[in-house]
Amino acid sequence: MSKNLLNIENLSINYVDTEHTKSIIKNISIQVKEGEILGLVGESGSGKSMTGLAINSLLDKKKFIATEGKIFFDDDNILEKSEEDLLKIRGNKISMIFQEPMLSLNPVQTLKTQICEVIKLHITDDESRFPDIIESIFSKCGLEYEDKILNSYAHMLSGGQRQRAMIAISVVCNPKLLIADEPTTALDVTLQLQVLELLKKLSKENGMSLILISHDLDLIKNYTDNVVIMKDGKIEEANSTKEIFDSPQSNYTKQLINCRPVRMIEQNNSNQELLKINNLNCRFLTQNSFFKNKKKYFYALTDINLSLNVGETLGVVGESGSGKSTLAMSILQLLKYQGQIIFDGASLELMNKEDLRNQRKDFQIVFQDPYSSLSPRLNILEILSEGLSVYGNYTDSQLINSCEELLNEVGLESSMMYRYPHQFSGGQRQRIAIARAISLKPKLVIMDEPTSALDVVVQKNILDLIISIQRKYNLSYIFISHDIKVVGAISHKICVLKKSEIVEFGDTNSILNNPKSDYTQQLIRSTSFSS
Amino acid sequence: MKERSRAIWVKFKSSKRNLYSLYIFSFIFLLSIFAELISNDKPILMMIDDKLYFPLVLEYKETHFGGVFETEADYKDDFMQELIKKNNNWAIFPINPNSYNTINLNKSTPNPAPPSLDNYLGTDDRGRDVLARLIYGFRLSVIFAFMLTIIAVIIGIFFGAIQGYFVGRTDLFLQRFIEIWSSMPELYLLIIFSSLFEPSLSLLIILLSLFGWIGLSDYVRAEFLKGRNMDYVVAARTMGLSNYKIITKHILPNSMISVITFLPFRISGAILILTSLDFLGLGVPPDTPSLGELLSQGKESIEAWWLSLTTFFVLVGTLLLLIFIGEGIRESMDSRS
Repeated sequence: MSKNLLNIENLSINYVDTEHTKSIIKNISIQVKEGEILGLVGESGSGKSMTGLAINSLLDKKKFIATEGKIFFDDDNILEKSEEDLLKIRGNKISMIFQEPMLSLNPVQTLKTQICEVIKLHITDDESRFPDIIESIFSKCGLEYEDKILNSYAHMLSGGQRQRAMIAISVVCNPKLLIADEPTTALDVTLQLQVLELLKKLSKENGMSLILISHDLDLIKNYTDNVVIMKDGKIEEANSTKEIFDSPQSNYTKQLINCRPVRMIEQNNSNQELLKINNLNCRFLTQNSFFKNKKKYFYALTDINLSLNVGETLGVVGESGSGKSTLAMSILQLLKYQGQIIFDGASLELMNKEDLRNQRKDFQIVFQDPYSSLSPRLNILEILSEGLSVYGNYTDSQLINSCEELLNEVGLESSMMYRYPHQFSGGQRQRIAIARAISLKPKLVIMDEPTSALDVVVQKNILDLIISIQRKYNLSYIFISHDIKVVGAISHKICVLKKSEIVEFGDTNSILNNPKSDYTQQLIRSTSFSS
Repeated sequence: MKERSRAIWVKFKSSKRNLYSLYIFSFIFLLSIFAELISNDKPILMMIDDKLYFPLVLEYKETHFGGVFETEADYKDDFMQELIKKNNNWAIFPINPNSYNTINLNKSTPNPAPPSLDNYLGTDDRGRDVLARLIYGFRLSVIFAFMLTIIAVIIGIFFGAIQGYFVGRTDLFLQRFIEIWSSMPELYLLIIFSSLFEPSLSLLIILLSLFGWIGLSDYVRAEFLKGRNMDYVVAARTMGLSNYKIITKHILPNSMISVITFLPFRISGAILILTSLDFLGLGVPPDTPSLGELLSQGKESIEAWWLSLTTFFVLVGTLLLLIFIGEGIRESMDSRS
């Protein structure tokens, strides 16, 4: 067990373009022992995926040049191997699984064809042995060996089955090393747990080494033996998992570990109701027909009843497709719905266009993706003063002043107002999006996964900002997220959505500590990894 | 916006081919705008009996100079030529002393006549100067193409924007309308209209722009369909911006790339359309200088190489330059590379 299976020595990789050269991996050394599970942690752009690809020699050699260092796998330097030798190693001794199984499985071939391809290539040509091999690997991976699954295409499988199938294909040759690049990020929380357990089991049973690339510290903490923390292409810290989490050495690691959300708000004492939703239904036409009874609908929201007080945060949790964003769009009056939404004492659906437009300034939204939420052709001043100019006539200097105030409010410098969105980082853009949302002094801001696209450290800062703004203006929030940890940290009330229905709605404390429905219990268990 | 345009310009001029194409085309086009100064049968400036005349801008009757006719003086006529040569009289003629409709009457060779000192590139079958007709024809083609493109772009953006932004029923009806509209036989209509009405450039522009916008509106529609769901558009709607403002401020500037990319190709396409129609005799009225008409003359008298070859080179040169410029713009606007 003590032998090093993989030994990366002082590896540096440059990205060479026609115009410039950029160093993306700087002098890293990583050792993986047989049967070990190594966690590779870092923000996006830290070089963790590049390292994974480099081990498998999958980087374009014309563009990515290893300037120095060696990658020893089984005492052979991978960097010096010919393409033919590499083909024998890839898929056979080193395998990879990726984030999105839908993209890594071929959509026009059945699962059987794809798995047989690997077997034929690396194990045996004897087709009579195929069923046995497939059956054994399927049973290991928790897939049922039946024709229905074997003959299905990627889109016919469920998300969990897809990732299991992907794992089955990667481990069918009993590889010595499996590189899992964010294997659970695209999956719903309940599936994440199952997939990780499966990977751990496979690693134990086959003595397979596993490199788990992830940004999720909880996952790393629970499933790895050793951790390497990367930042900007360099190794920030490498140690055993226990050491890293118990006594982190570098500042960056400390920052990473400390930014896991903890409860950040106080009790809200207001009893004044701002928003009340009665029997909200929202459906989309999926099959049109001239006859009314032949039309088919998809119900995105059914019988939603919610209420929100002034100065309060309502967290909405649910998996993708559960209707979270539809709820936001309905409240914003951007979708047709059935039911009643009472905002500030007035029923929104009964308003005429003119009144509604005047009311609009009272509810605003912040989106998930900071890259698509700001128009690339407008500078920050134009973006922030846009809303104001709808509701009144302001002189240029007044607009500039209010823009300065807003930027200061969200922790940016007022000199930045003439810049364009592409000149800002993701976190800064999200601050600008928040500034835009509060520019009209709204009473309610809907946050649609505002921190999901951000790195953990930035996420913490944005959450701090959101809460300080709430305190200052006594704002109400509807905070939509798939991450119950984040929601739990900043919400007064939580509403759990599943398949367009409310599973549970109540006080944050009672939901987190005493969840009633199975689904909520599952959610809480799978995110806290309390195994 | 400014910054982005500057980045595009830097990228555009990083290729020598792009830059030279743009310079050469702009230079030639600018020259052709002042075609009257370069190629004309009237002197730019004339001194007769110590009096200055400006025949290019002012119209002088022949009787004014002691002639017989009440019409405008023909400065290439023997009578005027002799007058100019007398005493201290002088006249400055343009480099090419022929206009597009000047007929060389003092010539011994039959028409079309090969290049000579009178007509640098020869004459066509009616004795008109080929060089002059090329210069004026080029100018007409390019201006025609610009106008046609601008009109088509405006209509195309208008319909594409409405379709892409309002979707649903509006989109459905307009899309069906476009399908019906585009299935109308364009050439057939042109033939009918050119026999019904007196053929003219404006009629041609109107008829061609009725159909020219169709392809473009599809691209704009697609861009708008994508743009209307962008988060920043939704955010603008929650802020209560009017549809007009959202379209002009948010979606349109972000959809312009596809339009701008197509512009040079549309311009070169329009030049080709005009040339082909003229070649078939369906285009501009017969007296107008046009490249297509010269080509068809070249076809008629195949031995007169100065007709077909010169026109061919002008046409190829123009289209080539426009396509180079277009490709340069497309490459520099592509943010992926």
